[in-house]
Amino acid sequence: MEILRSVYEVAGFILLIALGVALLEGYFYYHFKFHDRPWFAWAGLAAFPLLVWLGFTAGGIAKPGLFAWLVAIEAAVLAFFRYAVKGRHSLAYLLLIPAFVGLALLLVYPFLFEVYLSFHDLKLTTIMTWKNTGTLPFVGLDQYVKVFTTSPLSEVTFWQLLGRTLLWTFSNVFFHVLGGFALALLLNNAISFKGFYRTLLVIPWAMPQVVAVLAMRGEFHSQNGFVNIILGKIAEAYPFLAGLGVGPVQWLSDYPLLTCTIINVWLGIPFMMVVILGGLQSISTSYYDAADIDGASYFQKLRYITLPLVKPVLMPAVTLGTVWTFNNINVIYLVTGQAGGTEQADILVSALYKAAFTYNRYSYSAAFAIVVFALLFFISVTYLHGFDAAKDER
Amino acid sequence: MTNHAKTGYFGALAASAAEIMESPVRRAKFFKYALIHIVVLTAAGICVYPLLRILSISMRPGDRLFSTDLSLIPDGATLAAYASLLKDTMFLRWLWNSLIITLATSFIGVSLASTAAYAFSRFRFPGKKAGLILLLSSQMIPAGMLILPLFLMIMKLKLMNTYLGMIIAYSVSSLPFSIWILKGYYDTIPRSLEEAALVDGTSQVGAFWRIILPLSTPALSIAFLFNFTTAWNEYLVARVVLFSSKQYTWTLGLFELQGQYITQWGMFAAGSMLVTIPVLAVFLYSSKWLISGLTLGSVKG
Amino acid sequence: MATVKFQNIVKNFKDNQVLKRVDLEIKDHEFVVIVGPSGCGKTTLLRMLAGLEEISAGEIHIDDTLVNHLHPSKRQIAMVFQDYALYPHMTVEENMSFSLRIKNAPKKEIRERVTEAANILQLGKLLKRMPKQLSGGQRQRVAIGRAIVRQPKVFLFDEPLSNLDAKLREEMRVEIAKLYQRLNATIIYVTHDQVEAMTLAGRIVIMNQGVIQQVGTPIEVYRKPDNLFVAGFIGSPTMNFIEGTLRVEKGHVRFVSPSLSLDLPASLLAPEGSHEGREAVIGVRPDDVFAGREAGRNCSQKVDAVLEVSELLGHRENLYLKVGDLRVLATVEAFFNQSPGSTVPVCFNFENMHVFDKASQRRISA
Repeated sequence: MEILRSVYEVAGFILLIALGVALLEGYFYYHFKFHDRPWFAWAGLAAFPLLVWLGFTAGGIAKPGLFAWLVAIEAAVLAFFRYAVKGRHSLAYLLLIPAFVGLALLLVYPFLFEVYLSFHDLKLTTIMTWKNTGTLPFVGLDQYVKVFTTSPLSEVTFWQLLGRTLLWTFSNVFFHVLGGFALALLLNNAISFKGFYRTLLVIPWAMPQVVAVLAMRGEFHSQNGFVNIILGKIAEAYPFLAGLGVGPVQWLSDYPLLTCTIINVWLGIPFMMVVILGGLQSISTSYYDAADIDGASYFQKLRYITLPLVKPVLMPAVTLGTVWTFNNINVIYLVTGQAGGTEQADILVSALYKAAFTYNRYSYSAAFAIVVFALLFFISVTYLHGFDAAKDER
Repeated sequence: MTNHAKTGYFGALAASAAEIMESPVRRAKFFKYALIHIVVLTAAGICVYPLLRILSISMRPGDRLFSTDLSLIPDGATLAAYASLLKDTMFLRWLWNSLIITLATSFIGVSLASTAAYAFSRFRFPGKKAGLILLLSSQMIPAGMLILPLFLMIMKLKLMNTYLGMIIAYSVSSLPFSIWILKGYYDTIPRSLEEAALVDGTSQVGAFWRIILPLSTPALSIAFLFNFTTAWNEYLVARVVLFSSKQYTWTLGLFELQGQYITQWGMFAAGSMLVTIPVLAVFLYSSKWLISGLTLGSVKG
Repeated sequence: MATVKFQNIVKNFKDNQVLKRVDLEIKDHEFVVIVGPSGCGKTTLLRMLAGLEEISAGEIHIDDTLVNHLHPSKRQIAMVFQDYALYPHMTVEENMSFSLRIKNAPKKEIRERVTEAANILQLGKLLKRMPKQLSGGQRQRVAIGRAIVRQPKVFLFDEPLSNLDAKLREEMRVEIAKLYQRLNATIIYVTHDQVEAMTLAGRIVIMNQGVIQQVGTPIEVYRKPDNLFVAGFIGSPTMNFIEGTLRVEKGHVRFVSPSLSLDLPASLLAPEGSHEGREAVIGVRPDDVFAGREAGRNCSQKVDAVLEVSELLGHRENLYLKVGDLRVLATVEAFFNQSPGSTVPVCFNFENMHVFDKASQRRISA
């Protein structure tokens, strides 16, 4: 019966959303349609605050002063439609509004809220007051200062995290592209069982990431993991290698970052392979014919034809892959996130997650997030700028 | 035996092998392809092996879960772990929770994306470029960054530990990507189809509803699938929003199974298999579309 | 320059034999056009010569050197591709010099050769452009220029004009003809367009279903087609074919079909006994069907035909005629001035008539 209740609950919610969207559409439709009628302004001013106020009252969070705010906002909206939009492009905007209201509420607002948090002090001791009154002590730039002076976890510093993140991002993307390119080149030959191979090769990507990472973590277990079993057998069979230090290793506690990197490389190669293979297959074979006649060797063809022609597909994939890797919490958290887990493998984003939810330092984590975002934004803009410049050159 | 060896299938194989070895060009080619097969097979083995290991662990009898045995089909294989997973844990309930949250999320996400993408594909209006840039740059926001404010909002709305809280948190996470994919697909549908519909007497909205949407089924499925897999495999938001094991999604459930008690290794493996097989099947079945969608999106980006 | 020899060339794709023992010899300085419908194996033959396709059996010689196992770049050939295959990320100059740069040729030589080729093709102003910024005709010229820079023994053209529109195609046809005179090279040119073949070729090779149907000068293949396929393929509008039976009578052969019977002159087909009862096909080009006034002036054995439709082409006019149940196309001088449905006298020019054996499809007339 609980199952029925859950269906009912969720279906009701979807209906509520649909109703909300319908109201929203009706509301803006009215603005587009009647923007030049004489009664437009009065009707709008009267209707909107009433509607929202009713809704909020029903929701139980109405406050004095809200009404005045709503009237002011509505006046601004009315003026905008009357003098700026004037009923033009109505259909395009009506189609966009639901998605963008959703994005505004669940993407833009949380982002601004995070900025707000970063200038205040929300932590385990203040969260109850905030829940009840909605007010927080203002601390200015204190949180930002702390980001650079104190450890987000227990000992690792911001600068260590930054270096580790850059190392992590670079090494992962490098091996993704290298492995993906090599496999794509191999698969681009006219070999039999190609489809079968490709199916097997995308399995790490296709598996649910949680399962894949947890399974790989199992393989790095010090006694029962595949890796150590094999290393142990090698050391047994070839004692001279054991003398060189080959043997079972405490992967998860001694080399956590290396372990995470190996796992993430394993996870990420299939995506690159598929993208690059798509690019390779779209290159017309007549370029290779022409290059054959021109006398290019295998590596010359790779250098002068394949690479430049795959670049338009490769560059966006690398950009995307870089951002994904930079922001990858999943792998690191799933490998090291359990109670008593190490912080030797943490990168910026995983430290920020742990600071918020393991150490409950909310505002600190918000400031940390803003710093990380600014950093990523700066890198991306510089990079994209360079990319555009390169594009113009061609 | 002596005479028979020269006839039949193996005889023919031997004959053609001998033929290959005669010509230097074909011999070089033969070795090249043999090498490719060996390398690709090794890589494929590395890709598949962990999955096979889970399968093998899930079938081990309880007393040998921690053996260092590497054989894929264990001695005395048993399905006991599956039985106890379904009987002793709330695994089915977790799957149900995941399913209902994921379906609702995908439905909302695809509906919102389908209309917004149409506007971006077919109309010129002030703010179009800004909107597209917003969509692209939203991909740059670290995923972990928004978890905190969303968590606080959900707490404030008193939706902790509920489906609704999860659906709200998930619903727009794949929206930019879905819009991007759908816009790319709409762009490939010739405008003349809608113009014909307009001449036949539908409105612009009618043309979208009756012509464009039915034609876009493949792209809509990709977008749906993408929304679905993202939400289905999500872990980090669920970790902070859901706290009673009754409300867990399967990702939380599995993590708990693997994390805490030694005896649940087998059940973890069994649960992993049960979750992975359908996901894998859907992914491989749809991978052609998914990949074309991805490359389309990335090329245009 | 060079000679090219194909000996017993066979090509198998899986179980499908696309070239069946092709023999062909091409002389020095010759312009040979290989023509045939799509799928006849002509492009495969060219790509085998270029070294881009494996040879299943047979031998190819360039200048008496066996090239079967030679790398394409070692065969001293150059090829112009159907889609031009200009490297999209290189400028015109880089495209043209690619083969030399690969070989690390001296910079001075590269510049000289590119400039020379650019002068021949008037590409001087385009050298810094990307292929994307060029029109179809310009890309075509760059592709040819890239071939010239290589200074090959043999030029290979693979349907080079098929991506151009009609007007440009005519222009480029003339340019290629001029280029041939200037370079005086051996050229092998593949096309499905018989007009290109007729206008450009020194010799035409007509292929169908992996077999060479006829080799000859344009005039030869037009005037004396060896078989029904060549007769139908060469010439526009297409030749009229009339099926019937031969009867040997005293001094000549009589052709009998349900709608039309003709006495064939002995100069066309000698009255041999073996022709008696033979199933045959008569071929006559629309130009050699006389109607109306022309029929009165030129010949005997008139028959009556009904005019179904007439098409004015300018100085000529196409008449779609019906003789009994038989449809016949005649091309006459404009203006014919008869309305559809009227009856018109028709006769045939026996000098340019062809008789084919229906069973073997081969020509049996003189």
